[in-house]
Amino acid sequence: MTKGLNHFKPFITGGFLAMTIFLSCNDSPYMQGKRLYNANCANCHMEDGSGLTTLIPSLQKSSYLGKPAVACILRNGLRDTIFKDSTFLLREMPAFKKFSATEITNIVNFVNHTWSTNFKETTITEIGNVLKSCQ
Amino acid sequence: MKLSFFYNISVSTLLLVSCKNNEPLPYLGQTVVENGKEIHHKVGQFSHYNQDSVLMDNAALSEYIYVADFFFTSCPSICPRVAKQMLRIYESVKDEPMVKLVSFTIDPKRDDVKKLRLYADNLGVDHNKWFFLTGDKDATLELANTYFVAAFEDADAPGGFDHSGKILLVDKEGHVRSFSEGTDPENTPKIIEDIKKLVASYKAENK
Repeated sequence: MTKGLNHFKPFITGGFLAMTIFLSCNDSPYMQGKRLYNANCANCHMEDGSGLTTLIPSLQKSSYLGKPAVACILRNGLRDTIFKDSTFLLREMPAFKKFSATEITNIVNFVNHTWSTNFKETTITEIGNVLKSCQ
Repeated sequence: MKLSFFYNISVSTLLLVSCKNNEPLPYLGQTVVENGKEIHHKVGQFSHYNQDSVLMDNAALSEYIYVADFFFTSCPSICPRVAKQMLRIYESVKDEPMVKLVSFTIDPKRDDVKKLRLYADNLGVDHNKWFFLTGDKDATLELANTYFVAAFEDADAPGGFDHSGKILLVDKEGHVRSFSEGTDPENTPKIIEDIKKLVASYKAENK
């Protein structure tokens, strides 16, 4: 019996090694979210989430982190004018109508997991409810 | 013995590097010889309004060297990345009055003076240092070619325009002297170095 197990040892070690490499290369558990973020969001918000001065808000310390309400902005975009220290600012974000609730959930979780200091997973039910309410 | 060997290597490396640094910047584009005189490629003529409604042409920039790019404010693809590198360059030349920045919009229909002013304010930059210019669309697309930037209207491209994110360094005489790919942050230190080199060469001339 012990002899049989010994026979498999290299495979077990190898499998464990492969797993470790796989996990360490995929640093975020939200792979679809990461992929979608890089393809659709990173051009403006940048890979590191830093944005561009007041033109494109940084996600790193965003007040939207951890808030499911952000799902409505993802789906419908943003066109907002605000005043900040007497300076007139324009906030515009394109709408991403094509994203499904699952995709939005994955993006939200990737962003929160990457930049939120107290990460808590947002469920698809929460996102689904928000999406119903924002129309 | 070993030490002197390394010493020699480091000295020759230093010489090699410093020699390379002293080389003047090349003239990009075609150089033709007319009557025994070299004529370098120049950027095209423009007459555009800046974000403060001031009409600007090539002559308005003849006292300055400038860093140029082509963009549009509602560009959802590469523009913010390029703008981020332009901003990095802006920060590095803030205290050098000889250097200006010029961003031409290729979408004048949407980017009027008001929109460009808002964009500059949002970016938080000095209106006398960084000009955002709007003018005739076809003239601007043609002008882009003389800056070695490919820009054209394409309904299938994100935002309606397809263009490259090059950042160009233009000298006082209108020659393109250096460029970088604005989409690659690792390109930026090189063009910043080239700007300093060009500034230094003008300062040495006037001595």
